[in-house]
Amino acid sequence: MNAFFSTIVPTIATAPPPAPRELTGGFWLPQASSVNAENIDATFYFITYLGYFFFALIVALMVIFVVKYRQRGREIHAEGPTHHTALEVTWTIIPLLLSILLFYFGFKGFLSASTPPLNSYQIDVTAQQWSWSFKYPNGVVSDDLIVPADKPVKLVMRSEDVLHSLFVPDFRVKKDVVPGRYTTLWFNAPEPTGMDARKAHHLFCTEYCGKDHSNMNRKVYVLNQAEFDEWAEYQRTADQRSPVDERYFRVAPKLYKRCISCHTLDGTPSTGPSWGAHDGLPAIWERTEKGLTKFGDGTTLKDYIGPGKEYETPEAYISDSILNPGKHLVAPFGNAMPTFKGQISDVGIQALIDFMKRLDEFDAKGNYLKPIPPLPQQTADPKKTANAAK
Amino acid sequence: MTTLDASRPTHLNIEASSDNYLTHTRGLLSWAFTLDHKRIGVMYMFAILGSFFVGGVFALLVRTKLLFPDAVNWMTAEQYNQAFTLHGAVMVFLVIVPSIPAALGNFILPIMLGAKDVAFPRLNLASFWLWIFGAIFVVISLLAGSFDTGWTFYTPYSTRTTLGGVVWVITGVFILGFSSIFTGMNFIVTIHKLRPPGMTWFRMPLFLWALYSTALIQVLATPVLAITLALVAIERVFHIGVFDPAMGGDPVLFQHFFWFYSHPAVYIMILPGMGIISEIIAVHSHRHIFGYRFIAFSSIAIAFFSFLVWGHHMFVSGQSGLMGAVFSLITFSVAIPSAIKVFNWLATLYKGSISLNTPMLYGLAFLFLFTIGGLTGLHLGTLNTDIHLHDTYFVVAHFHYVMMGSALIAMVGGLHHWWPKMFGRMYSEALGKLGCVLVFVGFNVTFFTQFMLGSHGMPRRYYLYQPEFQIYHVISTCGSYIMALGFIITGICLLKSLFSGKPAPANPWGGRSLEWQCPSPPPHDNFPTTPRVGDCYDFSIVRWDDSAGGYVVDRSLDPELNPNAPKRAGAHH
Repeated sequence: MNAFFSTIVPTIATAPPPAPRELTGGFWLPQASSVNAENIDATFYFITYLGYFFFALIVALMVIFVVKYRQRGREIHAEGPTHHTALEVTWTIIPLLLSILLFYFGFKGFLSASTPPLNSYQIDVTAQQWSWSFKYPNGVVSDDLIVPADKPVKLVMRSEDVLHSLFVPDFRVKKDVVPGRYTTLWFNAPEPTGMDARKAHHLFCTEYCGKDHSNMNRKVYVLNQAEFDEWAEYQRTADQRSPVDERYFRVAPKLYKRCISCHTLDGTPSTGPSWGAHDGLPAIWERTEKGLTKFGDGTTLKDYIGPGKEYETPEAYISDSILNPGKHLVAPFGNAMPTFKGQISDVGIQALIDFMKRLDEFDAKGNYLKPIPPLPQQTADPKKTANAAK
Repeated sequence: MTTLDASRPTHLNIEASSDNYLTHTRGLLSWAFTLDHKRIGVMYMFAILGSFFVGGVFALLVRTKLLFPDAVNWMTAEQYNQAFTLHGAVMVFLVIVPSIPAALGNFILPIMLGAKDVAFPRLNLASFWLWIFGAIFVVISLLAGSFDTGWTFYTPYSTRTTLGGVVWVITGVFILGFSSIFTGMNFIVTIHKLRPPGMTWFRMPLFLWALYSTALIQVLATPVLAITLALVAIERVFHIGVFDPAMGGDPVLFQHFFWFYSHPAVYIMILPGMGIISEIIAVHSHRHIFGYRFIAFSSIAIAFFSFLVWGHHMFVSGQSGLMGAVFSLITFSVAIPSAIKVFNWLATLYKGSISLNTPMLYGLAFLFLFTIGGLTGLHLGTLNTDIHLHDTYFVVAHFHYVMMGSALIAMVGGLHHWWPKMFGRMYSEALGKLGCVLVFVGFNVTFFTQFMLGSHGMPRRYYLYQPEFQIYHVISTCGSYIMALGFIITGICLLKSLFSGKPAPANPWGGRSLEWQCPSPPPHDNFPTTPRVGDCYDFSIVRWDDSAGGYVVDRSLDPELNPNAPKRAGAHH
């Protein structure tokens, strides 16, 4: 009965190292996994074959002329015509007509690619340096994009900081994510991939966004409708379902994946302060509790924590740092962290704080060192689960 | 008895030659403060080749990192981002934009016109020193903490990045822009006012048409870049919001401003290259250029359309779909003049007397590479295929085929074409051809694989990448090493010629335009009096002369210069 949850859900929860994938598709293009892809591929191949033709023509003529008319000795016998208006008009008009044809193909395909159907399933996307967050209508937030199969899906995207761009090569979709604007794209992926990382589609950031630009890639999993509903419902209740004292290893590690690009656990310097011990400071919890953290304005955390001060407890400071970063900047770091307001629940913040208190139970990547016991199951509907397991 | 051109050298011993621009005056200051367009051109050339070396080293660093999909311990992600940014910025602003106009154009343009110098020699010198100051600012930016914005300086990243070199490099590019504007203004005035008797607009060598079109773009578009970058600097320093939404600005506005310059700038880079190719193909085929007017008008058409297509860099930027459609349509209009040029060059080969010297090999390499670069541009100008290919290695490959495989290859071809004229020395043909072949092969190995990488979805500017792409990256990197070897051999070949090359005759290739009718290297004043010109592509009066050790242009046979000249079949059509 638990086949679905034991094989599928933990894949998301603990994100195993990305399985190597073979190049799919043909010589030029990867596999076409969305409804619009066929249309785009047809245009691509039309232009490509046109290109082969003109390239062969031009290079063949060039080689023939160079061989046939090469100079022998030092004599000059140049006698070709200096112009031929009819010929020149011909090779002006043919490219002109072909250009108009290409524009027409591209425009037609572009229209359908930029018009999401009215019944699209909407997922809200937030991009920030250097992570993606996908928010579903039921409030669930994920790092990988999980979509229902054979259904138009519309992504409404915004950025917390700089430009990003969402690109799924297998779907032939791409759109910049622009701070201060909402941009959208849509696709319909008919073939489910299941939760198999080897079958899943790549999702890349394709607008340069700084240090970890190339790390800002995730997977797209396509689930059939029943599996998708199951997954969404399971995720909605997952955090609450796990016992409070186990959330630091069940909930926090997957949240930490969005912190790791700036906050290391082993003291290595990065964009933000490491949570591990470094430069003579103890690890994050100890230095927070003792108020040892030094700020850029010369103050230390001691000045802010305590009865009657800005923060009653160390926990309040950490929570505020996640929701309102930039209020107190730890020396020598700049104001680089985006806010996570609305993206992380109280349960999540509490789990992260507990995680900070017990960093020694995790490896440098934030993986729990001990085996994670199975979660007591309460809400799964046995009938749906059985379907999904097939 | 035919009278040969008066300015042809009577003997070949350069040291004995009484006056040439290299020996006219001596001492460092005589170069630093020279007003001679030829010396300024030569100084530009060495400065630009030095920058090309630096930009090339950054390229090799980037390619070497990309041998491995994972992080490497000798280059961090930050260093990688700085390396590709510096490669792009150096190659665009310090190398390709000034390369042909400022180095070769400066040297050749006045001689082609039979003039003593450009119209404003002091402005010309100012342009060179502005280039040097711009380059100094780029170096300062490296010392001040470098920059990692990409050469495109896209906001709001460029206003937020913590590296300290951004404002310095922006200042450098601002100054380099004025260097470019000065050169452009000078060329426009020179071509309008200093054409010799007999040279109507449609009698100008096509290289001059290309430089003229380029100069128009330089003067009209560069100020927009200067203002845009000034706004970025103001935003960074004074936090006045223009482009950063956190301060009330609009990041897409920056892209409009930036590409309003930088798309025309693509034609600042390629048009002079096309001009050189028109010269190389006509001279080394010893044959009248085919369809002169179509080639000349296509240069002007490209310059005109170049201002109307900037939005094709922004199909997925969030600009409206309607704008995307309009820009795509106009973009295709640029394809037509480019196609015309290629067909006309091909037709010029027909029934020519083609000599496969090193410059001609570069000319043919250009035809091959520009055809690929142009045809793959169709994939990117078409709206729906661009969605997939935008910001992938497909774009990287495409613009390298056009910017490097075409513009830079044309520049190197032009360098070989006019090298004997500039320094009075012949280089080793064997070594020159070997360099050319290695560059050509290495280039295709490097960049053709990148088309496949891109169409399979590999994004550009990636430090880490998916392991399935590794094989293409390894092939591409090997190609870049072959190319580097080719350029090293080319450099050795040219430098060696300065010390041990055979003295060059006035006209080693059989050229017809005026620069081949003055000694190599030219005297300080180029020509004693302004020569009258005829049809500069009429090769029927060019013949080999053993006593000159090269070709001569027999001006007495030109019916325009000599009313008694015998009528010759095939001279005019």
